Amino acid sequence: MSDTKNPADLNLALAAATCALLGIGATEPVAAAEADTWSFDSSLLYYGESDDRVQDVSAAISAQRKFDDERVLGLSLTADTLTGASASGAIALDRPQTFTSPSGKATYTTQAGDVPLDDTFKDTRFALNASWTQPLARLYTVSGGLGFSTEYDYTHIGANLSLARDFNKRNTTVSAGLAWSQDDIDPVGGAPLPLAQMLDVGQGGNKAGSDSKDVLDFLVGLTQVLNRTTVLRINYSYSDASGYLNDPYKILSVVDPVTGDTLTRTPTAGLQGPTGVYRYENRPDSRVKQSLYAEMKHSFGAPVLRVAYRFMTDDWGIDSNTLETSLRWPLGGSSYIEPQLRYYTQSEADFYRANLVAGQPLPQYASADFRLGNFDATTVGVKFGHKTAGGNEWSTRLEYYQQTGDIPSDQIIGNQANRPQYPDLSAVIVQFGYRFGLR
Amino acid sequence: MRCGLLIASVLLLSGCAHVGVQPWERDVLAKPEMSLDADPLDAAIDDHIYFSKEASSGGRGFGGGGCGCN
Amino acid sequence: MSVDPRPISLVYEQDHWVGRFVAMACPCEVLIDAPSSETAQTLARAIANVAWRVEQKFSRYRSDSVVHAINQAAGEATAVDGETTQLLDFAATLTRLSAGRFDITSGVLRRAWTFDGGSTVPSQRQIDDLMPLVGWDKVVWQRPYLTLQPGMQIDFGGIGKEYAVDSAAKLAGSLAPEVSCLVNFGGDIVVRAPAGSEREWSVGVERYDQSGVAREIIKLRRGALATSGDSRRFVLKDGRRYSHILDARTGWPIPDAPRSVTVAADTCTQAGTLTTLAMLQGAGAAEFLRTSGCKFWLQ
Repeated sequence: MSDTKNPADLNLALAAATCALLGIGATEPVAAAEADTWSFDSSLLYYGESDDRVQDVSAAISAQRKFDDERVLGLSLTADTLTGASASGAIALDRPQTFTSPSGKATYTTQAGDVPLDDTFKDTRFALNASWTQPLARLYTVSGGLGFSTEYDYTHIGANLSLARDFNKRNTTVSAGLAWSQDDIDPVGGAPLPLAQMLDVGQGGNKAGSDSKDVLDFLVGLTQVLNRTTVLRINYSYSDASGYLNDPYKILSVVDPVTGDTLTRTPTAGLQGPTGVYRYENRPDSRVKQSLYAEMKHSFGAPVLRVAYRFMTDDWGIDSNTLETSLRWPLGGSSYIEPQLRYYTQSEADFYRANLVAGQPLPQYASADFRLGNFDATTVGVKFGHKTAGGNEWSTRLEYYQQTGDIPSDQIIGNQANRPQYPDLSAVIVQFGYRFGLR
Repeated sequence: MRCGLLIASVLLLSGCAHVGVQPWERDVLAKPEMSLDADPLDAAIDDHIYFSKEASSGGRGFGGGGCGCN
Repeated sequence: MSVDPRPISLVYEQDHWVGRFVAMACPCEVLIDAPSSETAQTLARAIANVAWRVEQKFSRYRSDSVVHAINQAAGEATAVDGETTQLLDFAATLTRLSAGRFDITSGVLRRAWTFDGGSTVPSQRQIDDLMPLVGWDKVVWQRPYLTLQPGMQIDFGGIGKEYAVDSAAKLAGSLAPEVSCLVNFGGDIVVRAPAGSEREWSVGVERYDQSGVAREIIKLRRGALATSGDSRRFVLKDGRRYSHILDARTGWPIPDAPRSVTVAADTCTQAGTLTTLAMLQGAGAAEFLRTSGCKFWLQ
């Protein structure tokens, strides 16, 4: 407090002076700890895409219990219900199109001029996660987690383990971790055989049963304090997925090489079925991804700026760049407003194509899933939060997400040029959150 | 490309040995909004939404995945 | 030996004895983890006697106290005993360690300041008039003789209660070394327990804005807790809140100090000093406590 004196040294001098005053030798060290506390974070989310596409409502609650010696238990439960439909991969036409639904027991029809949306059934998903963190030795922290989720046609289990070590007066932390997961996919109607043609209602033979995929992730990270007001994190990750990586509900239209229209087809007499030639997609059974992620937080007095960038590349030929930024601006003593911006761009997978062309040899892999295509996406949002006198926090977040894709002009054939080519997506996201604690 | 990423990461780590602050200068860094894991629920929600609508996932940590939405 | 008229109540609550009495103008209690009421009674009485003895000897309000005698000496030297010598030496060390912010001669500034939650602030002239009477450097301290300049006053307000708690704990340790007990003099607390004792005492730290409601529950097995706060004694001026703890170098209080600071340390004297020094850091209290290495809770 002679302002050059280090408070730690001051405390030592104080301890010595106190012992002298009380006429005692060294004391036994104090043993004081906070009573174990639970803290909770909950949220309610609505996600809605335009044009009657996917809508999702989800509720999540996560709980954290801190024990005396820096050990932490985390639990979270999420439930979401999905309704609506997403683009199936078939192209729009000037005439209505009928498709066999995934179950193989019914059909659905798309109007002329509309991008076909697959008949996604209502689905409810539950996910449970647990994590444990504890100090291992003086500068080491170990943490592990388990995850489980289940939905109508999909089950996931996963585990992860990571180790972190502090250096340089805890200014630098290096961590490394491994995660493994196994997913079982049991598609409605069965997993389609690769590039099999969509058949009439009740006709089997083009689908098999269930399948599975394994994913192994490896991550190394560095967190570094740059100065009193800035902290930086850099992560490198490597991910290896193998097994059934297809989307069992996505299809490709087979089109005429001149007109670009989907080949027509008449269902077998007496049966309902597709009015065009469609084939189920097929992706490789292995995918290796690498990404480099950097995130920085900087404090300008009271406001805090966050900037994050991620580069991803994989062996499917996809490269992506993500840039996110947000500025948390305090309002008064207990509220804040935080505008957020995200810009994302990805290049298409090697086997991505808008459609298959009749007469050309069937490729080994093909997918028209818009999520593997070439697109830019922008998110603009704002979050508002308020801390109550009791120390709990309410928050609300509003975001708008817009995805705009692009099919290279050499892939556009004939009449396709006059119709919507890429199923551009726009969605509104509304979220309410509440954070509270219990003793 | 892969080697480049790894080399860049290692060089960055070795340069970090003396950068930082003294323990008594951590007042700003201790503010909850300066934590890199400040809003884990928001992060999980975002990761899940973008995993189901885009081809990339994760980066910040583990996760991204575990659902039939992609 | 005459019967002491000051009452000590002793009751058995849950799984321990509780002795309650009033001393140093605050409610005091002793929690004793012993099966027999005789042990509890002996300890409670011994601890209450320590509190009353320290109060009688060092309270500036009592005309029979050493402090009163020193303050009335008006420029003359006063001879003090061993215990007073040690307290004065400790106070001098604190003044040095805090670079003059903490000073037992700063009590006269009370005449200029009223910390009642209002916005009355003395003028610089009023402070300037009092500052010549403030400062340990103006005191002549040659053991065992203490000489204050005429008009100066000392008081052990910042360290007396904590010293009493630690002294009581020391006595409890010699009277009943195998018993775990908690001594609480108005919020300054120490747990004296035998080595290896597993018994945890739950201490609630009151919310600064709601008395009776705990903001934090701390489980104390051994050692001390002290709390410094300004929930009732502060001044609001120009939108800034000034706690009642004055910086003895300037005569002014420190703005933007936390509402309440609780520190855990090996002894109550150390814990109490740390809370005072932290409050004297104002907005830098959290950083100060974090670096000092002690466990602390702020509001």
